[in-house]
Amino acid sequence: MPGEDYRRYFEILELQPDASFSEVRNAYLHLKRLYSTESIVIHPIANEFSEESRQEVLQRIEDAYERLSALFQDNGSAYTGSRGQPLGPEEAGDVHEHVSFSGETLRQIRQGLGIKLHEIAFATKIRLQYLENIESERFGDLPPEVYLRGYIVNYARCLSLDSGRVARDYMKRYRDWKKKS
Amino acid sequence: MARVKKGCEIWAIGGGKGGTGKSFVTGNIGTYLASRGKRVILIDADIGGANLHTILGVSRPRTSLTDFFERKASLADLIVCCDSSNMGLVTGDLHSIDSGNIRYTQKLRLFRQIRTLETDYILIDLGSGSHANTVDAFLLADKMIIVLVPEITAIENMYHFMKNVLFKKLKISLGSRGFKEFLQDTWRNRTTYGIKNIKELIDYLRKHSTEVREVLDRELSGFRIYLIMNQIRHTSEISIGFSVRSVCMKYFGFKTHYVGYIEYEDLVWRCVNEQRPYLQSYPSSRCAKEIGRIAENLVEGRQIKMTYS
Repeated sequence: MPGEDYRRYFEILELQPDASFSEVRNAYLHLKRLYSTESIVIHPIANEFSEESRQEVLQRIEDAYERLSALFQDNGSAYTGSRGQPLGPEEAGDVHEHVSFSGETLRQIRQGLGIKLHEIAFATKIRLQYLENIESERFGDLPPEVYLRGYIVNYARCLSLDSGRVARDYMKRYRDWKKKS
Repeated sequence: MARVKKGCEIWAIGGGKGGTGKSFVTGNIGTYLASRGKRVILIDADIGGANLHTILGVSRPRTSLTDFFERKASLADLIVCCDSSNMGLVTGDLHSIDSGNIRYTQKLRLFRQIRTLETDYILIDLGSGSHANTVDAFLLADKMIIVLVPEITAIENMYHFMKNVLFKKLKISLGSRGFKEFLQDTWRNRTTYGIKNIKELIDYLRKHSTEVREVLDRELSGFRIYLIMNQIRHTSEISIGFSVRSVCMKYFGFKTHYVGYIEYEDLVWRCVNEQRPYLQSYPSSRCAKEIGRIAENLVEGRQIKMTYS
């Protein structure tokens, strides 16, 4: 939307205006969790702020995320989710409910978020080669199962996915392969 | 690192709860800056609980801030040398009991003299608590730094400290323009006006007049607290800094810069107990690198970015 003040939305999500979509998504998930659950950061001031003001803050966060999602979609780098549908803010948390996570799904989600594999390698300290093998499911070239599971969990966290579910799905595929070979 | 253009920069380190590692952070940031060729003077203003000298492995100095307050000694004469030739230390008071009664004029004299010291950075370890002395000294610094640990009690005390600092800031800003009583009356009768917190107080004050609004906007736009998370035991605790930053902005209405975190490390207290300066003993440890990054971020006014968690 021309003329719309997107700066404000970045500000609400506490980001610089040059933030990438994955940063926007991370910030959104972080803030949503912060203001919708009780934590050691919120608890000490909980009685000073009404439920109303908390809802107001949450609403502003939702709005900002919705606007920014639309902005990134218009720019063609949108994250469309694995069902090929544009990602609405409400479903952001559990859009992958019916998906079984394979190496290929992870790759698609990562590319959809506009994150490069070397960025994941940098953030997780997992060797790039292993990440490539994970996505291509070259199971024979992967480290032993106990290490692999840790890698998958870290990788899934990078994409703000439910790491437990991703690891479960992926490790099942790994074990199926192991049985066959 | 950026050049300091005019005079030296004063950093004050405070933050409510005791035991969060203020002295450790102050001493080691100072050591880092000195190792990068900066001239640094550390001032232990934790009057009554001074132990910065122990952290630095310097034996208890004979002179202290007491001499400044009681004997009117000049501050420059109280500086003792540390290991690094770039670094000096003015230790806090260990004997005077009447430390709570230092007058505001005395504090101003201290800060006037601090500004005249020939150095690049002055780091003041303020000690714990939200005493008026601490709050005043905090506000007089160029950079206000809080050291926090991921514990609910520390967070609670930090909020209390922050609110005290912000309220004092309002008092100074508005007081100098003749609105002191207006501020005090508003706060005293806050229930009548439906004010529950400091943000609502500021919102209420802003509506009073254009003049008040302009004063507040100007004074608060430059108001910023720098935040350091210390003793992180799990990566998930890194994000507490971002959460605190968010609450400060959204609930209190002021900016914080989250400049970095330091992992929990057993070697630290071992070093402290053995009176060995940590950064010099373990220069390539992870903690040392994190301290270096924090120091650089403070110099540059940068903050860390949220990574994937």
